Amino acid sequence: MIDKASFQPPPIGRVVATEQKPATPHQFHFWTANETSIGIGAIVRVEGFGAGDSGRVVYGVVTDGFAYSDLATPLHDVVGAEGDPARAAEHPTVRQEIRLWTAAVLRQRPEEPLQPVPLGAVHVASDVDVAQALRMDAYLGGEQPTAIPVGLYTSGGLEAPVYLDADFLLGPEAAHLNISGVSGLATKTSAVEFLLASIFQHFPPHKGRVAAVCFNVKGPDLCFLDQPGALEDEDRRRYERLAVQAQPFERVRYYAPFKADGVNLNTLRTHPDLVGDVEPLVWGLREVLDYAEVLLNRDDIDAKADAFIDFLADRVVDKEFDDGFGGAHRVVTFADLERLFRSIFDGLELAGRGDTWRTHHIATIRKVRNRLSNISTRCKGLVTDDGPSSDLPWGRFEDRAVYVVDVANVDPLGQDLVFARAVSKLREHLERRDLGVDAVVVFVDELNKYAPGDGPDTYVKKMLLDISERGRYLGLVLFGAEQFRSQVHRRVVGNAGTIVFGRMDSDELATPGYQVLSPATKIKLATLPIGELMVRHPHFTQPIFVRFPRPGVLRGRDGVERFPPAADLPFEDAVVRQLVKLDRRVRPNQVKDLIADRREEDVRRALAHTRQARPQDAFAHFKKHLGGRVAAVPAAARESVAPLNRISDEPY
Amino acid sequence: MSRSWVDAILAAGVVPASHVPEASVGRVDLEEFTGADPVEDPELRVRSLVGAPALAPPSVGFLDGIEQWRVVGYAGVTPIVRAHVAAAIRLREGDRRLRTVAENADELAITRLDRLPDAVRGALAGTGVRVVEIPADDAGQPARALPAARLEVQKARAALERRLAERRLARLGSDEWLVVDGVLSDSPALSAHPRAVGVVKSHGAEYFEGPELERALTLPVLHRTSVFRPKRRGARREIYSWYLRLWPWEGNDLLYGLLRVEARAHPGTVALAPRISAWLVGERAPLATPDRRWDRLLYPIYDVESYLRARAPRDLLPAPGSRLPRTGT
Repeated sequence: MIDKASFQPPPIGRVVATEQKPATPHQFHFWTANETSIGIGAIVRVEGFGAGDSGRVVYGVVTDGFAYSDLATPLHDVVGAEGDPARAAEHPTVRQEIRLWTAAVLRQRPEEPLQPVPLGAVHVASDVDVAQALRMDAYLGGEQPTAIPVGLYTSGGLEAPVYLDADFLLGPEAAHLNISGVSGLATKTSAVEFLLASIFQHFPPHKGRVAAVCFNVKGPDLCFLDQPGALEDEDRRRYERLAVQAQPFERVRYYAPFKADGVNLNTLRTHPDLVGDVEPLVWGLREVLDYAEVLLNRDDIDAKADAFIDFLADRVVDKEFDDGFGGAHRVVTFADLERLFRSIFDGLELAGRGDTWRTHHIATIRKVRNRLSNISTRCKGLVTDDGPSSDLPWGRFEDRAVYVVDVANVDPLGQDLVFARAVSKLREHLERRDLGVDAVVVFVDELNKYAPGDGPDTYVKKMLLDISERGRYLGLVLFGAEQFRSQVHRRVVGNAGTIVFGRMDSDELATPGYQVLSPATKIKLATLPIGELMVRHPHFTQPIFVRFPRPGVLRGRDGVERFPPAADLPFEDAVVRQLVKLDRRVRPNQVKDLIADRREEDVRRALAHTRQARPQDAFAHFKKHLGGRVAAVPAAARESVAPLNRISDEPY
Repeated sequence: MSRSWVDAILAAGVVPASHVPEASVGRVDLEEFTGADPVEDPELRVRSLVGAPALAPPSVGFLDGIEQWRVVGYAGVTPIVRAHVAAAIRLREGDRRLRTVAENADELAITRLDRLPDAVRGALAGTGVRVVEIPADDAGQPARALPAARLEVQKARAALERRLAERRLARLGSDEWLVVDGVLSDSPALSAHPRAVGVVKSHGAEYFEGPELERALTLPVLHRTSVFRPKRRGARREIYSWYLRLWPWEGNDLLYGLLRVEARAHPGTVALAPRISAWLVGERAPLATPDRRWDRLLYPIYDVESYLRARAPRDLLPAPGSRLPRTGT
């Protein structure tokens, strides 16, 4: 994988050491000609010579640079130019200058005894040197190589592929990747897209099957991963150098909730040519109730509400249940639950049995009812009041497939719910080893929002911490991205084995977390071009700058231009489209005639059943579940009875 | 040459010494003869350089040399001096950077052989080091031996510079000039070459007296004197010369910023004197600081010196520590 250097280039510098700037086992200084290809981030090789140092080779990465002349004081320059800056450039002789560089040691050969860097000649690193310097030789070769290309190290006209160790990127030795960078350059998303492609193509066979679940939390970022993007020749050359094929992902599955109308998908991937690939993400009462803590932990959840929710989950949902007032219930949907609540309230009211039901205070019942109904309101489209759910293919995950869950336009509460449930399910299945793959990369952008360093301990934050700290044993790997690393929970970023930095904000670089970086490295980070990253990896003693090619997929912004989202369809047309997607023989007019004057919730329920069943004859199935038209009967006047005593002052 | 010959004579019984005389880190120009004949004007006059077009040769070589010496031992009271002399030419071309195009260095032992014990003499002969002898009259008195040794070092350095310059002159490009730190008149080739210029910073010799001397030493800044011909003495060749003031002396010293320029004794030199002077004035910048002679030291000459000192043996420089007796701790 590494090309042998075909020639030995001449030295480009020489190590110097003074009492003030000595060479140490971890750092050294060297000078070069003024005209040099060396820059911050360049990897160099120092060859020792002479007694004690002969045969010793030290690899280092340039972390700082200095230039100065023999000018004793700036005043002398002023005097020489007689106060005229223009004349300073006309001096017949250029002063002696120095380019002095500081380098941090990456590796010493032999590694023992660890000694100060010899004062030897400095060479630009070749491919082989880069592999040695970054300790990549340990996982590039052997019977079971685990190298994942991450980018190209480029310096001084030389270019060398840099690899990450799959055992340290995806577990079990270490895991997780965290990427920081300013918004708007598409570097973070592009880097993750490229790295996922690289992982899919280079994940070692002996490590099994791998898939990725990507949460699209803003715009169309991840909506076109299956479409080829525009690449330049330089990108293709980089792909070739990295032995990664420049192509979109072969297997991408899109999931998005509906909009509030329950029939139009809430995603930007609604162009007619693409929307057929998007599966609706719809959850019912059972799916939501299991993660009620996500929804209720924000303000006023207490032990009593918690107990009542547990009661509902254990004793009521999906079971035959007697409400104690003579009513039998089978609660499957939110609508069923609402009927149960009404029955309880009416029963208590009519029976005058005080303010408790099955040991639960009616205020607690009202609170839980209020919160749950609020969910179905705020997350309408994701959470269905009735009808079956539509979910990710748990247990049937495909190898090298990307599952994009588009929650960009979902209410934050709904985003939390989607994230918490999806990750929990991934964890459950990975623990049971029945997900369909052995490792899953979960890509979450905006970690600043989901796992902030301060603020309350939300369910989502706790879950991210759990993945960060224990996910590597399961094959559950977090690829997190954020703008400000300093504002993400330190255990989340601290557990990431691989840290990637794109262009950074200067204010962010001034925070304590970046104190280990030299000022020059910080400047480079603050001005990093698109397509260049700084990578820290457990095998690398120092951060390394690499360049990566543009991902072979259509960027979100370009995708929206090429495949503009379709306008929302009228209810009838949206139903037709979904049925046609299931069965091309469905005739639109037939569907429209059928659903004319029918209640929309009935249509949605029938449609959901049809979608779930995926029958041969979609129209017939849909028609059967929609049922016959029932004539409206005027409601009988209801007899009301005044309460004997006031139930509660609770305003719920 | 390394310290091996020093070790050899110490092994042969020489009492070790470590003394760097004050003057050994610098150099003093040889004494010059006095008296001059007018060339450009009937008597020495002051000429302004304002408006004079500067000569701008596309490539210029700058030649300088260094000398360093140290008393490394005594055989009785006869000193044995280790000396290092070196010279280099650094060429400046279109990119305004200086690059070494010629250099030479020599190491020598200076003493009086017939005053050394046989063993020491034998040790010296065995090492192959070039030995230069001081006059017998000076060898017996250390107070006279050291100045005599210093004179030999200076001669060695001057000879090295001369050889290097003459070799370079043979290959000097048609538009290339050679600027020498010091006098040209030591060398027949240098003193006759049309594109060789000597720049003299020390003014041990005086060529004028009375009003002419006053005009020469109170020369205003950016002025030169008229060209004159120093009177020949000894082996010195005929040369044309003039004074040039680089920086205003008022508030400093009469010699502050004062150079004496030498060029071949030829009518063309008189014609070129204004242009050469304007060129040298342009060489004031960049300043040759932190050298304390910066007011008269052209930066390229300073650069050659820096280059040579960087390559010189480090153990010939004065030790930074105290010369108090060592305590053994």
